[in-house]
Amino acid sequence: MTTPAPEPAGNTHPSHGSDEPTVLLLRLAGPLQSWGVRSSFNRRDTGAEPTKSGVIGLLAAAAGHPREQPLGELADLTLGIRVDQPGTLLRDYHTVSDYRGRPLPQAGVSAKGIQKPTSPAKHTHVTTRFYLQDAVFVAALDGPPGLLTTLDRAVRNPAFPLALGRRSCPPTQPLSLGLRTTDMETALRSEPWQASAHTREQYARRLGRERGLHQPLHAGTIDCAATIEDPRGDDRLQDAPVSFDPHQRAFTSRQVRHAWLAIPTGFDHIDDDQPHGQADDPDHDPFALLGW
Amino acid sequence: MSQPAARPPRTYVDFHILQTVPPANLNRDDQGNPKEAYYGGVRRSRVSSQAWKRATRTHFAERVPEQDLATRTRRILGALAEDIEKRAGLDRPAALRLADALLAPLELSGGKKKDESAYLLFYGRRQLDAVAALVADQATELSALSDADLASRVKELPVREQFSTGHPIDVALFGRMVADIPALKVDAAAQVAHALSTHAVELEFDYFTAVDDEQTDEETGAGMIGTIGFNSATLYRYASVGLHQLLDNLTDEEAALTAISEFATSFARSMPTGYQNSFAHRTLPSLVAVVVREDQPVNLVSAFEQPVAAPSGIAAASAARLAEEHTRATVAWGDAPAFAAATHVFTDHQKPTAALNSAFGPPIPFSALLEGLHTHLAGALKPKQAAQ
Repeated sequence: MTTPAPEPAGNTHPSHGSDEPTVLLLRLAGPLQSWGVRSSFNRRDTGAEPTKSGVIGLLAAAAGHPREQPLGELADLTLGIRVDQPGTLLRDYHTVSDYRGRPLPQAGVSAKGIQKPTSPAKHTHVTTRFYLQDAVFVAALDGPPGLLTTLDRAVRNPAFPLALGRRSCPPTQPLSLGLRTTDMETALRSEPWQASAHTREQYARRLGRERGLHQPLHAGTIDCAATIEDPRGDDRLQDAPVSFDPHQRAFTSRQVRHAWLAIPTGFDHIDDDQPHGQADDPDHDPFALLGW
Repeated sequence: MSQPAARPPRTYVDFHILQTVPPANLNRDDQGNPKEAYYGGVRRSRVSSQAWKRATRTHFAERVPEQDLATRTRRILGALAEDIEKRAGLDRPAALRLADALLAPLELSGGKKKDESAYLLFYGRRQLDAVAALVADQATELSALSDADLASRVKELPVREQFSTGHPIDVALFGRMVADIPALKVDAAAQVAHALSTHAVELEFDYFTAVDDEQTDEETGAGMIGTIGFNSATLYRYASVGLHQLLDNLTDEEAALTAISEFATSFARSMPTGYQNSFAHRTLPSLVAVVVREDQPVNLVSAFEQPVAAPSGIAAASAARLAEEHTRATVAWGDAPAFAAATHVFTDHQKPTAALNSAFGPPIPFSALLEGLHTHLAGALKPKQAAQ
């Protein structure tokens, strides 16, 4: 595996002084995503949000780092995730067998380094894989401006094909939303809502119903959940990568805080910039269950 | 990791395929129903990437021609010698002689390895690097030895172990299987997405009864009843192959180009076989578009996030959407593809033709598409050779 020479971290934007905070925004969207947290053996789960190891892995792949390469300053980036569209869980029943009809090999190797076939012969191996379907996230990475500029370019010209947590989940475009010269939370607060047309209309219809109107209501903002890395945060996640080397994969924990951010919806015309008006019957909305 | 090899230019070959499938159940879950996923808020038919990869792989393995052993060995030899030359600073003849001695234990020219039946093993850049690293610090000393001494010294080195992870061409494309040991360091060059229908799909059930033909008059009723889940869909299938990665996995340009052509054929023509005797669902694609990009692979599934809802001709409406999305992506991001071509069945009086022509050029037969792709990729690899 060859490694491209590191590009000079030239600041292409004169406005990026080294003292200014810089944030790289990524839009993580596609039909399927899978962000494993405690996956092992035959059961491959997914968290409800992209993990730090998944996002850093995507950036390392874009930059062309082989798996064995130390993460270096990639590991020091801080991550914020905004949930624009939570999606739902998909369970995929997945069988594995050799396409030539041979028995599957054993897990271990013989003294010669050869994998012997299983005995008694086992032809099919069942695994269960979980995906998030129809989800959209915005990831914000905070770090040195030079590095983020390089990574922004790398994501647009990746060395390896990129994936949303698993190889079979290619991202849809645009993946990079570019750089912002603000702090992470401001960047996550001000980036318009990235949800699909269907979800946006659903939101407008629901607000209209809650207000007792007979038409959709296009609000100026929507509240989105966010998970922001913060040393003073009150929650701990075990998903910060230490090494992606297959022989010594390791993760460590990181402190995060959870927040709700009111973000601009970006509707063409805004009926009301307050989504939280007086509802007719705030306690019971039978149609919400039907996803109307 | 010291890196002697020049990296080939980044080249991604994207495949976009639209294929209409009649009522079928080609990829089922543990309930026996066709797999599904929600996208854009509606239910879609899904064929998992692993199902179509298996179909592709089976098709591929049946077709890949036997490699000419002598030329393959010469190529491995050349690549390894180059590696040693750069690492140890030897001159070419000495490096060649050393490489020849290192490859001797593999008995490549002596014929096939015993445990490989159909096709040859390839050695990727990683394996050659590992072997070159074995002799890098003693290369000058080794070159000074006589042939017999050199051979015995090489016998002491763990050359075979480094080469034990050679892999056939399909592993270079599709990567390791789940059960393979991590020592086989091959990252798949191909990325295959789950196929999704371009429109909303309902799961339907076929209620069946099986009646015993020899049944006596006293007994009535069916011997067996049940249901088979099925659906019918126009699927969007996407795959991307990194040519630079494939070269890395095979260290052989001709093999890499062959692999891409064969992958294109097998991916386009293969089909999962689930329930095929009940549904006879084998079809050919309505559209195969190949786009070569030097920036990044672009998955165009976003064209169908709003489900296609044509009263008639879902395939044609999907093709128009796909072409428009491709054109939009090119305009919006300013990344013109290096090569684009399409084979499709839409005729002049159907709506999508104009959009398809402006996106991928006029339709050409599939064989011409493969030829054009091969010619373009061979040209794309030229600058690399000039640089060496």
